[in-house]
Amino acid sequence: MKARFLMAILVLLGLALAQTQVRISGWGGTDIAIVNGLLKEVVQPKLDREGIRVVYEPIEGDYTQWLFNALSAGTAPDLFYVDIFWSESLFATGRVEPLDAYFSRQEVAEFLPNLIQAFTYKGKLYGIPKDFNTLALQFNRDLFDEAGVRYPHQQDTWETFEAKLKEVQSKLKDVAGLCVVADFARFGAFAFATGWKPFDEKGRTVLDQNFRRAFEWYTGLPKRGAARFAQDLGEGWTGGCFGGEKAATALEGAWIAGFLRDKAPNMRYGTTFLPLDPVSKKRGNFVYTVSWSMNAASKNKQAAAKVLKALTSPEAQQWVLERGLAIPSRRALANNPYFQRPGKEPELNRIVFQGSTAQGGNVYPFKFQAFGGDWMRPINDALLAVMTGQKTVDQALRDAQAALDRLTGGR
Amino acid sequence: MRLKARTLEGLYAFLLLFPFLFSLGVFFLYAFLRAVFFSFTEYNLFDPPRWVGLANYLRLLQEPLFLTALKHTLAYSLVVTSLQTFFALLLAVALNQPLKGITFFRTVYYLPSVISTAAASLLLLWLFQRTGLVNQGLSLLLSHLGQLGGFAGLFLAAQALQVAWERRKGAAVSFWDPALAALSLLVAFLGAWALGASGLLPPREVRVEIPWLPTQASFLGIPYPLWAIILMNTYTTIPTFMVLFLAGLKGIPKTLYEAAALDGATPWTMFTRITVPLLRPVLFLVITMGLIGTLQLFDQVLFVGGSGGAPLESTITLAYYVYGNVFPSGAAPRVGLASAAALVLAGLTLLIVLLQRRFGVGERGWS
Repeated sequence: MKARFLMAILVLLGLALAQTQVRISGWGGTDIAIVNGLLKEVVQPKLDREGIRVVYEPIEGDYTQWLFNALSAGTAPDLFYVDIFWSESLFATGRVEPLDAYFSRQEVAEFLPNLIQAFTYKGKLYGIPKDFNTLALQFNRDLFDEAGVRYPHQQDTWETFEAKLKEVQSKLKDVAGLCVVADFARFGAFAFATGWKPFDEKGRTVLDQNFRRAFEWYTGLPKRGAARFAQDLGEGWTGGCFGGEKAATALEGAWIAGFLRDKAPNMRYGTTFLPLDPVSKKRGNFVYTVSWSMNAASKNKQAAAKVLKALTSPEAQQWVLERGLAIPSRRALANNPYFQRPGKEPELNRIVFQGSTAQGGNVYPFKFQAFGGDWMRPINDALLAVMTGQKTVDQALRDAQAALDRLTGGR
Repeated sequence: MRLKARTLEGLYAFLLLFPFLFSLGVFFLYAFLRAVFFSFTEYNLFDPPRWVGLANYLRLLQEPLFLTALKHTLAYSLVVTSLQTFFALLLAVALNQPLKGITFFRTVYYLPSVISTAAASLLLLWLFQRTGLVNQGLSLLLSHLGQLGGFAGLFLAAQALQVAWERRKGAAVSFWDPALAALSLLVAFLGAWALGASGLLPPREVRVEIPWLPTQASFLGIPYPLWAIILMNTYTTIPTFMVLFLAGLKGIPKTLYEAAALDGATPWTMFTRITVPLLRPVLFLVITMGLIGTLQLFDQVLFVGGSGGAPLESTITLAYYVYGNVFPSGAAPRVGLASAAALVLAGLTLLIVLLQRRFGVGERGWS
């Protein structure tokens, strides 16, 4: 009896020693439940056979700070999230392992090419996109019905869209057509629609006539009675106005679904693409995406690569998609039956998925070389100053151009 | 071998002090020396630091954002320290009166200091929104300006009538007699209400929509959002200093006041000749702590600037500048520049406290 017990302990110990541990980290909040579920139901059972144990360490608080500190101190986990917004600054440090040696071309080709491009830095692939988001236009069907206005649709241009917003706002006195924010993360999509690019060939930012056209249209919406400034409605984002029925439309990604599920579970909303620029006849969009990347100082790179593959496998992405949690990054999922299901959430997710393709128009990843927030600030300040009536368009754009020249080099 | 009593005593002292000295050495001295070293280098946390000499300090002088931060920090520190010291002293003197139920008021007045800065900042955002309470209050005030004028006029008229009447009867009443004023107030209130209701003084349509927070506009050289932070911070720190003053006031012997009263001193003379001089040690403490605390303003800037939507140029302070450069949003850390700015902040704090000590209120009470 005693010998058998001892034997069992030895076997267990042996198993434990044979197992390779791979530490993974990402931000906390709602992601904890998602990743835990994914690990338990999909990833870990697959890895058990290979003797790999995944240890998940979610980070509450400022994830970026934590990751930069952990990488510089040598205590970072084997795999971690990298947000596209600060990806280039991180890849430039050399502390992230290029993945070209672990993934065949064929494996890489299964992911959406623009997402792969977004995580490619100086010709090397530094992250496998785990999921992504783009912007879409959500509209409250009940409010449009009440105002007797046709729903926004994908052929709308800025002009026809604005006319609908104006009509809603004038008929339903206490509801704004849209609530606008002084944020390039929303406005930028309209600037891209005109054909404007954040950086020219020399890497400088030029706020040209195209930019100005989008800027004038967007900042003029409140003045022309089509929108209200979000802060005047006591909100910080367009989804907040939409969820509280303070605005009839919103410009958000698939993340709004979870918020609306809690805030307004019975709201009948529809989703369509952002309106087209009447001149270029194109639309614009951002891709917001996050990758799983590998620590260059990891001691278990081969095992970590296996975990990375399991975390981004078709089964894992299907699991995430079916729970309506995020938009997966695999090409094959475009024709997934989930997107064809009736209902407001599958429709939202389908439009957001397609926003990254040719239908999205001029789509750029949400990153600005290694400048990050410093690059967006002059533009955000200009938006704010014009929308609150503190500066004219000319003055605001002149100031923003001067600040951008200081940052990216004068013309 | 036996140790001498003195050596043994020293050894014990060192043993007891060791944990403190250790943490001071590691977290203060070592960190400080590292910061001094980094301030002369270009360092991004990853590549080895590259020696650049005084370049970081020179760059700070040319950086508009740093100069704005410096200006804001100094102005903020000066205004808040003066306001909070003055009002804390005023409140402490008021709450030191031997009145019934004064403990209740002491508790109530202390409450603001237990509010967390996050909660206070949220409150501030609500108050100062374009459709917030401050603008609504101003709108209400301005739209009823006519009625308020009517109210004041009626009060003065009623009071004058009553006083004249009483004096004619031979009673020597003052113009501000409380009993008469109460009646005048009632008359004025009813009159003003009647004027409004009858349509003789209708409220005007006034809508104040000043963007207090999302703005770069300034008053007396200080941007509006920073004024909002000044108000909030003064409000939440007054109670703490008030308690210190109260403790100081308790230590002043009553006999001094009694002697002064016998000599015929007025309350103002007692305040300026007895209370303030004897409170000097506490005053020194309050001013010094106030200066150090205000020079390091950080969290409100983060909340009001971040989620409140105030432009960075309107709220940035030195402490925030340091933070913003160590962890810039979406860019690589600029540790060298941040260390240089942190040292400037440390130097500035030291300088201001020394100047205060030399030319302002000293720590010595009376000799």
